[in-house]
Amino acid sequence: MTALSVRNLNVWYGDKHTLNDVSVEIPLRRITCIIGPSGCGKSTLLKALNRLLDLNDQVKVSGQVRLDDINIYDPGVDVTEVRTRVGLLAQKPFPLPMSIFDNVAYGPRIHGRHNGKIHALVQEQLQAVGLWDEVADRLKAPATSLSVGQQQRLCLARTLSVEPEIVLCDESTASLDPISARGIEGLLCALKDKYTVVLVTHDIDQARRLADHVIFMWLGEVVESAPAGQFFGQPKEELTQAYLAREIG
Amino acid sequence: MNRKQRRRLQEAFFVGIMRTSLAGACLVLGTILAVITVRGVGALSWEMVSQPPESGFYLGGGGGILNAILGSLALATGATLLAMALAVPLALFMHTYLRSSRIANGIRLVLDVMWGIPSIVYGAFGFALMVFMGLRASLLAGVLTLALVVLPILARTFDEVLMMSPKDLREATLSLGATRLEYLGVLLRQALPGLMTALLLAFGRGIGDAASVLFTAGYTDALPQSLTRPVASLPLAIFYQLSTPFPEVQARAYASALVLTILILVVSLLAQLSARRLGKHVIR
Repeated sequence: MTALSVRNLNVWYGDKHTLNDVSVEIPLRRITCIIGPSGCGKSTLLKALNRLLDLNDQVKVSGQVRLDDINIYDPGVDVTEVRTRVGLLAQKPFPLPMSIFDNVAYGPRIHGRHNGKIHALVQEQLQAVGLWDEVADRLKAPATSLSVGQQQRLCLARTLSVEPEIVLCDESTASLDPISARGIEGLLCALKDKYTVVLVTHDIDQARRLADHVIFMWLGEVVESAPAGQFFGQPKEELTQAYLAREIG
Repeated sequence: MNRKQRRRLQEAFFVGIMRTSLAGACLVLGTILAVITVRGVGALSWEMVSQPPESGFYLGGGGGILNAILGSLALATGATLLAMALAVPLALFMHTYLRSSRIANGIRLVLDVMWGIPSIVYGAFGFALMVFMGLRASLLAGVLTLALVVLPILARTFDEVLMMSPKDLREATLSLGATRLEYLGVLLRQALPGLMTALLLAFGRGIGDAASVLFTAGYTDALPQSLTRPVASLPLAIFYQLSTPFPEVQARAYASALVLTILILVVSLLAQLSARRLGKHVIR
């Protein structure tokens, strides 16, 4: 089963051709890791999956990203609906300028999805990311009063609060200490029963730990896309073999 | 002299320049405050701030400057609120929809030019408009003219505040499926302390401006009663009192200046206090 299907996707930042004819499938309820060296187009591909690239005036996109057989780049598509269904956990934790409670409650409130049970919903999401016990007595405190690791878990709770089907993670453990990073990794593993997770990482070891499926990118192109066992066990492409052997990067 | 000594000397030299600048600024401000306090404190009384002028006030008669205090507060508050009603949507629109487009940069240039125009020009423009429309000098005309003076201050300061807001805020909000309008709500929360500072700047300029209200708001010894009647203001009250040859009236001019300074100080403190409270959740 496929959650997202990318077909002949091209992205330009001004005159720079950043993604070149990318076609990949993102499997449903699996963790897909996009790996590759810095500047290869990993984050661009990730942000193309929920039209966050639209925020950059310089960006031009051609090709298709199909979600439930709808091309999200079709002119009539409701972009807010796309971003609700395909959420993002950014590289650096970035809480909204609100309290801990309101950070999680904000999404359900704007979408009218709380049915008057906002407190229960916030509690549920904070419990899901293992933060409830740490913040239950200071829900009205500023979100910035949390540690960086706690902030990233809060951001994950905020992302999950709008009930997305797919969670995009843009090197979401890169700015965390090793213990917090492992905590987020554990949460992502727990999420895959319910969500499709797409994780950009430049850390091959992290991809080995987490991935069910791997996409390897090089200079804006997809070199290889395969299930993790096959990708790490018997990579087909020479470039992939060299990258995994850390001969290039 | 070795390299280490030279670096120490360089640092000492530049710190010395910075300290001198600080001392210079403090000296200027301190001198102004000292002059108006020394010359005006003797004339300052409860009667002066709680009563309108009686007949012969400008010849040394009784009464006070309550008309000018209330008039200035009405003018500055009205103008700041009116300008805010235009400036906030304008700045938000530029930041969210126009961004760094040519149109946005053109608007910024126009606002910068408007900021630099002397307020007497706004006064003359307001006066010409009043004559054209057959209006008299009034609180409303003063508020409208003063709003034009403070509009560019408010709009450009708020624009700068928005430009300094973290770029990740946009992505974090929109990635939850928020509309751009909903993002503006979050952005406003982030920018509230800056907005308060912009309001303070605009209010300070508004309450202290004499030229723009000279022709448009007029002057009266009566307390503000209606939008269509003339209204007094503190800068003009200072000007009229200082223009008399009577030393006791001139002393009241300095007392009036002291009142104006205290008003601005109180507004500044209130703005700082509210910015601190509102900024509790701001991402730094």
